[in-house]
Amino acid sequence: MEPAQPAQPPSGSGQTAPALSPQCEVPATDLAAPAPLPNLTKALDEHRVINILSVGSPASAALGGASGVKSFPVQVTDILEAALKGVNVEITNRGVDGEVAETAADQIRSEAAIKKPDLVLWQLGTNDALARIGPGEFTDVVKGTIEWLRENQIDVVLVGLQYTSRFAKDENYNAIRDALLQIATDEKVLYIRRYDAMRYIAQTRANLHLMASDNFHLSDLGTQCMAEHIARAMIASLFVKRFRPSPN
Amino acid sequence: MRKPNEIDFWRGFALITIFINHIPGNFIERFSYRNISLSDSAELFVLLAGWSMRLMIENPKRPLTSGGVVYRLWGRAVTLYIAQTFITEIAIFILAAASIWLDAPFLLDWHNAGAVFHEPIEAHIGLVLLTHQLGYFNILPLYVVLMVAAPVIALIYRTFPQLLLPLSLGLYVLTLAFGINFPSWPIEGTWFFSPTAWQLIYVIGFLLAGKTTDVGAFARRHVRILRWIAVPIVLAGVAIASTRYFPDLADLPKSGRFFVIFDKTFMSPDRLIHMLALCALFAGAYTSLHAWMPRFASFLALLGRNALNVFCAGSLLSLCAQIVRYMYGGRIVTDVILFAGGVAIMALVAWISEWHSRSQKEQGALAPALPSPFRSS
Repeated sequence: MEPAQPAQPPSGSGQTAPALSPQCEVPATDLAAPAPLPNLTKALDEHRVINILSVGSPASAALGGASGVKSFPVQVTDILEAALKGVNVEITNRGVDGEVAETAADQIRSEAAIKKPDLVLWQLGTNDALARIGPGEFTDVVKGTIEWLRENQIDVVLVGLQYTSRFAKDENYNAIRDALLQIATDEKVLYIRRYDAMRYIAQTRANLHLMASDNFHLSDLGTQCMAEHIARAMIASLFVKRFRPSPN
Repeated sequence: MRKPNEIDFWRGFALITIFINHIPGNFIERFSYRNISLSDSAELFVLLAGWSMRLMIENPKRPLTSGGVVYRLWGRAVTLYIAQTFITEIAIFILAAASIWLDAPFLLDWHNAGAVFHEPIEAHIGLVLLTHQLGYFNILPLYVVLMVAAPVIALIYRTFPQLLLPLSLGLYVLTLAFGINFPSWPIEGTWFFSPTAWQLIYVIGFLLAGKTTDVGAFARRHVRILRWIAVPIVLAGVAIASTRYFPDLADLPKSGRFFVIFDKTFMSPDRLIHMLALCALFAGAYTSLHAWMPRFASFLALLGRNALNVFCAGSLLSLCAQIVRYMYGGRIVTDVILFAGGVAIMALVAWISEWHSRSQKEQGALAPALPSPFRSS
């Protein structure tokens, strides 16, 4: 594996999103469409510490690898702090391995009441797909939670299913992926299309391995790319919010 | 074996409900009462555990000394701990074996098991210390803690019976106010069930078991008015749960948010009050149910009489059912077969447990009796 390259902080005035490492580079169209993050923007304007609540599965991506690589929330924090100079970011990780959206939704409400985060980073979909949760049931739960978060002035970033050739043709896997895209479109929230980003890397740089040898768990590089993709999409969305007129 | 009774009946009901609720997405789960209720089978299970503890230590036929109480309850705690570590290890085996058999490595991540495979050294320390719990395998650790604390509850009650409820309530309020919970490790977080919060419903179960004393006597004297109070609470629970209503944070008081949110970890007061309302509403219903459906009532009581073994079997069966759903998809027919098969196996476990107990008693009856050092004379 090639040595990991840290994401570059924005140059000059800090008005551009950090560059991705060459290994993690994907077209913006395969990553995420920018979406407003009004509450994160407000926190930045007020020069407050940014509080992020990370929920969902896999939590093991949050543990850090045996090789000493930083865990995924720590990597996201580092990239955000480097890009948003002078800003302190605190991530609380409450991810639980293998949990489905309904369990995470209950946890989000309880944790949000306690932590009062500015943003919830929610990895979801993979376990619902494999636990054979119906897309309709999944959609109801996720939409209800997003709407509740919006009413409570908390932004949400959805981190979608991972790409693995193992499930490329799995009917429920694709149904949940489609449902998630529809939810993000309907609710106008930032959605990290991890599946598309990882598939792009897998198809264009076959020598890079985002997955461990079991073709399901993320490798150290896979964890790094996931963190970079999330952080870049968040920062790009912040810039869109700040420098483009609001559609409202 | 004891005859079918109300406690065993509801415990059997809770066991089947837990089994269903622990297979996410399954069709039968839609008919689980938690869909129209603020509290669920966890509250019922713990309340009945407290109730059973009272019956265990206050058996008029076998009065126990204080030493005997401690011995019996800590002995039970050890049994529960062994059961927890055993079923957790079997669950890990099921996940590991299925991941190889089905070539499905994602199974290694299910139910918080990932750390066991990715950080085995830390996770195994956590498993033994109960700081690492698999998802859906987290109620027995609570029960272990409650049973370790049970002698304190029993001895406070024996010495200062009027103090038990205020002390328990005080600890609950402190827990809610300060968010007291046991830490989990190596996964950062806390226990799914805060023992210092859930002890309250355990203590309430203990006190409700008193037929002529305590809260239990009060509740029995005023059961009619309590039922009238319970009706709107239960109806409100139906409305809130079926619409998945959750108040806006801005509407909640700035301090003490724990006091109003629908939180299972801390058994928020709404859940507690709802559980007590259900108790008031359905207390005594067993008599009618048994008269109306005697075989069904006896069946649930059979499960409830053998609660620990059936619970362990149900926990493992629900995990197996999830794997089967992954293999064959979440069809209604699959879910119905899994439900019927699971309940049948739970019944078989209960029947074998009773057969085993009967055999042991028969053997014991033939052996010369030894005096117990813990019996009151």
